Parts: sequence; C-alpha cells; structure tokens
Amino acid sequence: MKLEIGNFYVKDIVFGENNSFENGILTINKQAALDFVMEDEHITKADLVIVKPGDNVRLVPVKEAIEPRVKLNGKTLFPGVTGDVTSAGEGRTHALKGCSVLVVGQHWGGFQDGVIDMGGEGAKYTYYSQLKNIVLVGETDEEFEAREQQKKNKALRWAGHKLAEYIGSIVKDLEPEEIETYELAPVTKRAESVNELPNVVFVMQPQSQMEELGYNDMVYGWDMNKFVPTFMNPNEILDGAVISGSFMPCSSKWSTYDFQNNPTIKRLYAEHGKTLNFLGVIMSNLNVALEQKERAALFVAQMATSLGADGAIVAEEGYGNPDADFIACVVALEDAGVKTVGITNECTGRDGKSQPLVTLDVKADAIVSCGNVSELIELPPMETVIGELEALARDGLSGGWATDEILGSSVKEDGSIIMENNAMFCGDQVVGWSTKTMKEF
Amino acid sequence: MKKAILYVNQFFGQVGGEDKADFEPEMREGLVGPAMELDKQLQNAEVTHTIICGDNFMGSNEEEAVKRIMDFLEGKEFDIFFAGPAFQAGRYGNACGVIAKAVHAKYGVPIISSMHIENPGVEMFKQDMVIFPGGKSAAAMRKDIKKMAAYGDKLLAGEQTGTAEEEGYYVRGIRHQVWLESKKPAADRVVEMLIKKLNGEEFQTELPIPKLDRVEIAAPLKDLSKAKIALVTTSGIVPVANPDRIQSASATRWGKYSVEGMDRLEGGVFKTIHAGFDPAAADADPNVCVPLDALRVYEKEGVIGKVDEHFYTTVGTGTTQGEAARMANEIVEHLKAAGVDGVIMTST
Repeated sequence: MKLEIGNFYVKDIVFGENNSFENGILTINKQAALDFVMEDEHITKADLVIVKPGDNVRLVPVKEAIEPRVKLNGKTLFPGVTGDVTSAGEGRTHALKGCSVLVVGQHWGGFQDGVIDMGGEGAKYTYYSQLKNIVLVGETDEEFEAREQQKKNKALRWAGHKLAEYIGSIVKDLEPEEIETYELAPVTKRAESVNELPNVVFVMQPQSQMEELGYNDMVYGWDMNKFVPTFMNPNEILDGAVISGSFMPCSSKWSTYDFQNNPTIKRLYAEHGKTLNFLGVIMSNLNVALEQKERAALFVAQMATSLGADGAIVAEEGYGNPDADFIACVVALEDAGVKTVGITNECTGRDGKSQPLVTLDVKADAIVSCGNVSELIELPPMETVIGELEALARDGLSGGWATDEILGSSVKEDGSIIMENNAMFCGDQVVGWSTKTMKEF
Repeated sequence: MKKAILYVNQFFGQVGGEDKADFEPEMREGLVGPAMELDKQLQNAEVTHTIICGDNFMGSNEEEAVKRIMDFLEGKEFDIFFAGPAFQAGRYGNACGVIAKAVHAKYGVPIISSMHIENPGVEMFKQDMVIFPGGKSAAAMRKDIKKMAAYGDKLLAGEQTGTAEEEGYYVRGIRHQVWLESKKPAADRVVEMLIKKLNGEEFQTELPIPKLDRVEIAAPLKDLSKAKIALVTTSGIVPVANPDRIQSASATRWGKYSVEGMDRLEGGVFKTIHAGFDPAAADADPNVCVPLDALRVYEKEGVIGKVDEHFYTTVGTGTTQGEAARMANEIVEHLKAAGVDGVIMTST
C-alpha cells in the first residue's frame, strides 16, 4: 500500500476575495466557507476566525482539530464520515501543513472539550498553539445535549471535518513543495534484508468506552465501541480512516489531526528497513467490562504472535479505567514473548502522590510517560476569548469546576483561570508529540 | 537572619549512649553536637536551638515525646527544621521522621534529614520529608550535614529546586510533569526505547513500577498427621522480660522461644510488647495471638504430627517491608533446620 502526502507549507492565512494558495499564503473567502458550513441544517450559527502562534487569544471549549487535506483520487477525506465508506491510505493526498481547522463551541462545552492558549505561558500546554489555525466557532440545534456534561458534538465535529476537506481542496490541483511517501510491502512479500530485522507492531488503543454510540472514535465511520482489534496498514490511519471522538478528558484525547499526523507511526516508518521491520498497526480499543478488556488483549497478543512480532509499542487514549486495558495489553504481549514498550500519561494527583496508573504490573518495565492529567495550572487573562470562557467552569470540562471551597471557580472575574491539565486540548500528546515527561520530586 | 532548629538523639546530644536511651526530651538554646557543624554549613539561617531526646523514650512514649517537644517549640520562631543525620540507626531514623513530620504538620516549615539507605526510617518517612542518603556511621557526619544544609539554603533563599535525582535525595513517589530540556518528543523516546529493548541494551523506563513481592500460595501439605507445624507471629508475644529487646514498633529484631513441655502460653510468663493494639486480652491469654493451646490438642488427636519446639516472634506495626523480609529470611533458616513442614502465621 503506497500513500503519497503532498505538503503545502502555510506561511500565513488570510481572508480574501478568492480561495487560493500562493507563495505560502492561504487565502480563504470567509463568506463562501461559512455558506458551505451552513449547508448543514444543524449548524445554527457559525463564524470563522484566524489565530496564530503568539496571539493573546484563549479558545474554549475546543472540540476538535483537523488538518485541511484533500484526496486526489476523488474519494472522501474521512470515509464513512464525510462521505461514502471508501478505502483510505492509497494514492495521493494533499495537505496544508502548519495549520489546522479548530472547532470551538460558541457557548456550550462539556467533559471532553478543552482549552487552547495561543500565546503566553499557557501556550506550552498544547500542540495547537504552534499552528496557524482556522477556527470554526459555532452553535447547533442539538438542544438535547446543550446542557449535558457529555456531548456528542456531532454537528460541529462533522462541520469541522467537512470544512477541512473544503479548505484542503484549495490545493487539489497545485504542485506540492514536497511529497512524503509511505509504503509498506505486504507482510509476506518483503525483502530478506527487511525481514531479518526485528519485527514490530504498533498497538493503538483509541477511546471507545462510551456504551452509547456517537461519542467514541470511529474507524471508517464505525463506532469503535462495537469493534474488536483489527490489523491495519498505518497508511489508513495517516489518511483519514480514523476520526477522534467526543468522550475522553481532553488532555488525554487524540484529535483527528493527531491521527492524521501520528508521529509514532512516522518515526516507525523512518526506522523501517534500517533498525526494524514495521509490520503494521494493530488497531485495538478501550473497554468498560473486564471481560471486554481481556478479550481485546487476547486479540492483540494473538495477532502480534501470528504476525511474528518481536516487539510492540502500545499507546492508550485515556487514563484511569483505560489503564487496565493498557496494562492488560502490555502484559499479554510480554507473556506472548513480544518485547513491549508503552506510551501513556499519568494521574498522580495535584500533589503528585497518587499511584500513576490505576493498574501496575512489573512486566510493564518500559514506559514513556507524557504528563500528569491532574497538574494544577493557573493562567492570566487573555485579551481575546474565542468561544465562552465561562464554559470551563460551568459546563463540567474535565479540568474545570464551578466551585471549590479553597480555589473558587475555575474562571475568575478578571478572566484569569485555574484548572487541571485535564482540560488542556489534547495536552498530553500521547500520540508522540509530547516533550513532557514525569519526574520524582 | 532566618532561624533553624535541629533534632538529635541522646548520643549525638552528648547525653550518653545506650544506657541513656530513655533520656527525656529537652530543648537547649544554642548548638549541641552536630548543630555546630550544621550552623557552620548553613549560610541562610542560624541554628538557634538543639532538641535532644533518647531513642527509647521516643520509641516507647512517642505521643508523650512529641507533645513535650511541640510544647518546647510553642512561640519559637524558626523557618526550617532539621533532624539527624541518623546514619544507620533505626530507632534514631524513626525518631527523626516522627518529630519532623509533626513539626511540618503544625508549622508548615521545610523538614530535612539524612539517613543511610538501610535505615528503616527511609522507607517509613521518605514520602513525608526530604531525606538525603547518608553514611553508615558518624564518620560521615560532615558530608551528610553538608547535603542537608545545601538543600536547606536553597529552600531558604527561595531558589528553584530540581527533581529528587538532581537534588540527590531519596525518591518519594511524588511525581510531577516536567518539560524535557532536550525537547525530545515522546515518539522518538518510545521508538528508541523499543529498539534498545529489542537489542537487549539497557533502557530507562520513565515510569518505574515498584516491584510487588507477591508470594505464591504454597501447595497443601500431603499428610498433615505427619507434619511438623511451627507458630510464627508478628503480634509481639515474648517472655515477659523481653530478653531480645524486640522493639514495640518498627521492629528490626525477632525472637525464638521454646514451648517444650508447655500445653499453652501462660499469661504472666508471656506477654505482648506490640504497641499497635490494646494488649489486655493478649497479656491475659497469649494463646489468642499464638494458638499453642489449640495446636497441642490437634497434636494429641493426631490431626498434626508435631508442634515445633519453638515459636518465632516479632512486632509488625510500623515495620518496613524490607526489614520484615530480612527477618523472615533469617527465621526461615531456623525453620528449615528444625525440619518444619508448615507454618501458621498470625498477626494481631
């Protein structure tokens, strides 16, 4: 399977007369783009704002991030989501680099939504402060969940996915600055020099713990709560087969942008044929019941063994209960003789004293740690807020609160905030961006 | 100038050795023993008082000792509290931990100690206070105090302090997120760790998992009627004179006592020295903790083959996992030598 991603590096984004991309300047006709968004009858209000690194801007509640892209073969960008269920991972896709479409609620947030500061000391807590962002701020007719803590955010998320494809199509017929090629020969048809290297699989555990459908990550438009582990080509993940859900405390979440650009997959590709033989991705899941967790671990260990894997990386999109899936999977692989390294974040509490993961096992002897979800963060006011600041306190964001005997509300009158890292949008970057680790004090 | 207070035991307080271990707490103005060295090393505070307390007094009358010392401190101005260094002395390490923890709870000042890695006080108190690795004996005094003072100076000056590894104190299970200076992304760290693991090279996990020493449940004895059974306890039942001077808490010693010719352990002959529960019932009838009486009946009925000639005892309260494992390993050698087939292990 061969995927080519044609990169267009965005130096600046402006609103203008015509949609265009010239000399690194992405120009968007704001009204035309908004008209496109409003074609969805569930979107009742929408606006577009451009934010850049260093801007004194706070975004909240942030619901999703997507890299603007288009496929040249005419297939939809997110199969089963933005169009029919078609294949992903082959052919040419054009991507606008250094930017993302961010989806922000005009008012209402929820458990799964987060905060992004584009400038100031808060900027270091998320990846997205480094990008130039086209922010879609909107409201929907989803009254049934407006005041619910758990939100599917379907209309806004889908609007974001479609808008990313709409903006991506600006560069459909242009020549990219560079082309990244991702190609893996079928597992049984690889050169001997590659086959004799240690065989490695990447096990991904996307968030799928919500029993009610509509909240979980999706693969080809399929809710991953109704999914058992499957072998996938990494190209499928880089090319839109998986979209982010709307469930997990936000710093643990993997956005759709994170899937499209997964740095761990890219690094494994870079090592492929040199230090290891990258067999592919075992796409697993996260579960609620113990039996489901054990079943998933069995599937993963069996697939890894049948594929002849010598090593594995396991990554979990979540903390707390999902730690049980994570550790069970690591242990099942180690028991099957597959040398395994895990990547996760921790929950050691505001004082740092709590047990880092809900479950521990000495067989998990190699773990990369990306942060503490419960670290307390205080940030000064920002000049501009996109969305509604009060959402952090009012709407049950995972790292915010309305009242606290000692700390008061998460949102202060002057616009400063106090929150847990939990509410930083995709803050722990367990997909592999994270430059954070955990240390003993 | 900021102010510091130091806690030392009777030996370092120049009162006397083991014979003075019952020395009741005193607070003296100025510098006694190690306080002189601490005052010399410490740049950002002067040591104003030295508190001295006998190790046994603290061990046996903890509540009273803490109360008296807290009374001494009432109204005193101080910005930091030091205890020790306690080297490898277990009771002294315990005392440093107990008093420093109490002082911190009331006054919120930084508390700093130093202990040798084998001092049980490390395991018991490293979560509650900063403890620097120290030498085995007083020969390391200067070096140990230097570390305590240097870290104290940093805190007193309000300087940014580093991780446990950077500062050099024992890790204490307090974990916070930090940004790596190298800015190396997790994707690189995880793939490189995997390659090292695959190649059998050394790698460093970022989340060390404490080793849980789970002991498998033993296979059943094949024939109980022929088995020799021993009684082992952490309930602190000892001959009334406590001949091996087993500690009432945080034990580091154990005893082996004959039960030959006895149908039961008589009150008045045996008692408990365990400080973690009301001893009245166990003192009146030690068999409630060490059921020799019931075992003798089984022996007569032929349910079991024989009761071992000795029982083995220590105190479980406050005893560290490390000390407990060491004592157990020592006891096991005796059990094996006596041909014991099975053990009944009782607590309190």
